[in-house]
Amino acid sequence: MNNILKELQKDLLHLPRTHPKRRAVAIPAMQALQAELGYLDDAAIEKIAQITGLSTTEAEELATFYSLIYRRPAGRHTVRICDSVCCSMRGADQLLTAAEEYIRTPLGTVTPDGALTVLPGICLGLCDKAPAALVDGEALGPLNDASLKALLQRLQQKD
Amino acid sequence: MGKIMLDGHAIPFKLGDNILQTALEANLEIPHFCYHAALGSLGACRLCAVEITPKDSGKAPRVAMACLEPSEDGLKVSVSAIAAQQVRQHVIEFLMINHPHDCPICDEGGECHLQDMTVVCGPPYRRYRGRKRTFPNQDLGPLIHHEMNRCITCYRCTRFYQDYALGNDLGAMRLRNEVYFGRFQDGPLENPFAGNLVEVCPTGVFTDAIFRQHFARVWDLKTAPSICPHCSVGCNTLPGARDGTLRRVRNRAHPELNRWFICDRGRYGHQYSEHSARPLAPRVSGTDTSYHDALNAAASQIKSTQDCIGGLGSTREDLEGNAMLQALLNNLGGIFTAFSDPKLETATIAAVSSLQNIGNAPSLAEIEQIDAALIIGDLTAHAPMIDLALRQAYRKGAKLAFLYSSPTPLAQFATTAITVSPQEMCTELSRLYQLINAQSAAEDITDTPMTDIAASLMGARKSLLIGAIETMTSQEVSTLSKLATALGSDTKLAYAFSGANAYGAALLSPTGSAVAMLEAVEAGQIRILIVAGNDPLGDSRFGTRWRAACRNLSALIVLDCILTATAKAADILFPVAAWTERGGTFINYEGRAQGFATVFHRPEYLPNVARVITDLAQYLGHSLQAAPSVLGDIFSDFQIPKPGTTGSLITAPSLPMPATASAHSIQESCNSTWQAALASWYGDEALASFAPGLMALTPKTVAMIEPTSAIDAGIKNGSKIKLRGSSGSMVLSVRFNQDVATGTIAIARNVLVQLGVGHGDSLELEQVL
Repeated sequence: MNNILKELQKDLLHLPRTHPKRRAVAIPAMQALQAELGYLDDAAIEKIAQITGLSTTEAEELATFYSLIYRRPAGRHTVRICDSVCCSMRGADQLLTAAEEYIRTPLGTVTPDGALTVLPGICLGLCDKAPAALVDGEALGPLNDASLKALLQRLQQKD
Repeated sequence: MGKIMLDGHAIPFKLGDNILQTALEANLEIPHFCYHAALGSLGACRLCAVEITPKDSGKAPRVAMACLEPSEDGLKVSVSAIAAQQVRQHVIEFLMINHPHDCPICDEGGECHLQDMTVVCGPPYRRYRGRKRTFPNQDLGPLIHHEMNRCITCYRCTRFYQDYALGNDLGAMRLRNEVYFGRFQDGPLENPFAGNLVEVCPTGVFTDAIFRQHFARVWDLKTAPSICPHCSVGCNTLPGARDGTLRRVRNRAHPELNRWFICDRGRYGHQYSEHSARPLAPRVSGTDTSYHDALNAAASQIKSTQDCIGGLGSTREDLEGNAMLQALLNNLGGIFTAFSDPKLETATIAAVSSLQNIGNAPSLAEIEQIDAALIIGDLTAHAPMIDLALRQAYRKGAKLAFLYSSPTPLAQFATTAITVSPQEMCTELSRLYQLINAQSAAEDITDTPMTDIAASLMGARKSLLIGAIETMTSQEVSTLSKLATALGSDTKLAYAFSGANAYGAALLSPTGSAVAMLEAVEAGQIRILIVAGNDPLGDSRFGTRWRAACRNLSALIVLDCILTATAKAADILFPVAAWTERGGTFINYEGRAQGFATVFHRPEYLPNVARVITDLAQYLGHSLQAAPSVLGDIFSDFQIPKPGTTGSLITAPSLPMPATASAHSIQESCNSTWQAALASWYGDEALASFAPGLMALTPKTVAMIEPTSAIDAGIKNGSKIKLRGSSGSMVLSVRFNQDVATGTIAIARNVLVQLGVGHGDSLELEQVL
């Protein structure tokens, strides 16, 4: 277990089980665990529930609501191509198909080498840079076929 | 009070109500899904669109959601406006994009809110030809079937489950078009009120899994107003039967009691009447016979042993059955009681007597309004719907205080919770009584949990003192009623009795009659015992004595609809109608007499208890009056309440408060350090124990001990111990539990019966290596 999580747990130790701070800690605890594991498996959800005093169902409600919390394995690098209105009009759908063909892996799954996950994402507010993408937490755009392929290639080789 | 104009009709409204509530109150339907009277408005479904024209004539009419728009005087509302109709039509068309076309095989068909609304508002044809969104379903246990594809995301289920019933194992997952209502992982829903999802869901996502096993279309079901026989609250129910079998039970709204919901014991406990071991033919000495022969056999037995007869009614037997048995015994010169457990008898009579003196118990609607409560024992098992009412009070900020010996689910919402061993409960209650009496004198109030309880009860605007009678002694009952008197008229007193008609049974049983009956059987003075709906041989505290005593009988005549230990031992057994198969009257915890009607008849001849007693009297050459006039003689001006009405409080002569015997009377001679406490759960009840679906959820049988006292005695968590009581011993594994009192072992009812000990009796403990 990583240090952030240990610290969170230590901070909560003296709070009663129903203290609101416990619930508030759920998201940072999920992010800390995801940073270590890459995604949250069922055991991670149970761990979060144990730390925060939420039920496993309540922890699952949170984890599945936020799109940047992964409940399925993700690659070392994630590319979230925005498919909301502006990006879609500027060719996001073709980009998604192209990416899928290039990495030969369905959207939302991990490439065999564990390097990449490409998936559609919700609006990033980068309509001026459409079609845009969120790559390992950083916003990029506008993308085209060539720049996307170069990006994917770079990510696969990087490590 | 103002009025809104709804499509030209002036409709009065209560201040603060929205348009939808105003319309529904006036019996005018505005189409809706997510609004529910108990759960309020959400605005999630967008179906209750209406066109409103503000009074200010300068403003143009606009479409608004009726459930979110407050009613204002002079507001013009149109349900029939074209703009509103179009919105509703589009909403339905959108919902039907993903909703499967599976109505012909859907259990909800015929009582489906979505089906109704689609017919009322929607387009008659589906234009969409694309793929539908689909979900995997979850296994939600033996009681509820899950079919997520049918969901229209109205959020009624989670609003009921999380917000109303305060459960935390059903939630809304994911987002957008993929919202999923379920659990973290497969498994039975843990909340004792989960079954209400079946009725709360406007479509077929949650359906009754027990009904599904033996399904019938709703329009084929025979229904009649009934009363739940599974506890003393007396929730109103609507059972449905077909082809001579009972298929399901649903809630029937009572404005002051259960309103929109019932508990899972009430909904699923009904399977007792379809149990494979249910006696359906009269039996004499173990062989099936005809009703006529059984009556003959019983009559000749009674004739041959004149003057030596006893009649044991029951707290779960209706008023008519108990009163007729009493009338027969009066004619024959025998003795009658409705209680097989003398301790339970004195506690119940003490409780009824104190309610008569102090004022009647509050209804569930009133309990929801209290702001402080003291709860003695476990209500979730003894009166689940009172538990639900207290959850509503808690949601509104009420402070709940607990004194309890074994785990109770409601205590998770406690402001103050103190575990007290059964034998010390009375002392602790007296301490609280003294604290409250000395409140003005005590200036240096120390900050102990008990003073917290005293302070919250004294500071409350409306408070409630409530106890579960089965785990209380008569001294505790009288101390609690003294406490209520000391707190004044803003404090209500209530008891969760053991048995649907316990209040009525107490009115018919003279004080001390149970112990007199047991001693007379033991002494051989009673040679014939007629038992109606009672199970003395299966009693935990007195079962051993009853079993020994019954060897003196020349005939044990039993009338029951379930195969209890007593029914198994009967020399002559009359199977009687189950509650849905007969009409009668129950008196609930408030003293409210409620009538229930015959829902259906089974193919076998199954008379009710009053009928069997009348027939038996005839075979003996006596003629008894009909039940209504017998009851009229006992309770002046008593009118049998009509089924389907709200019932009325019974006026009965005051019961005397039983003399309180010394606290340590029966079993205390044995100087063991451990006491037994009843560990109950919401399915724990005599009738419901014959319902296989519900019983599949029975918690594992373990011995629960408080960690500190266990460690002091050298007992480890998970280790095996041998418990010994007056009638046997049993090896159980230990489970540490903070919610058990010091020096107490919390064990399930079946273990208590096997050991022959009651709640609060001493136990011997031996470690098994």
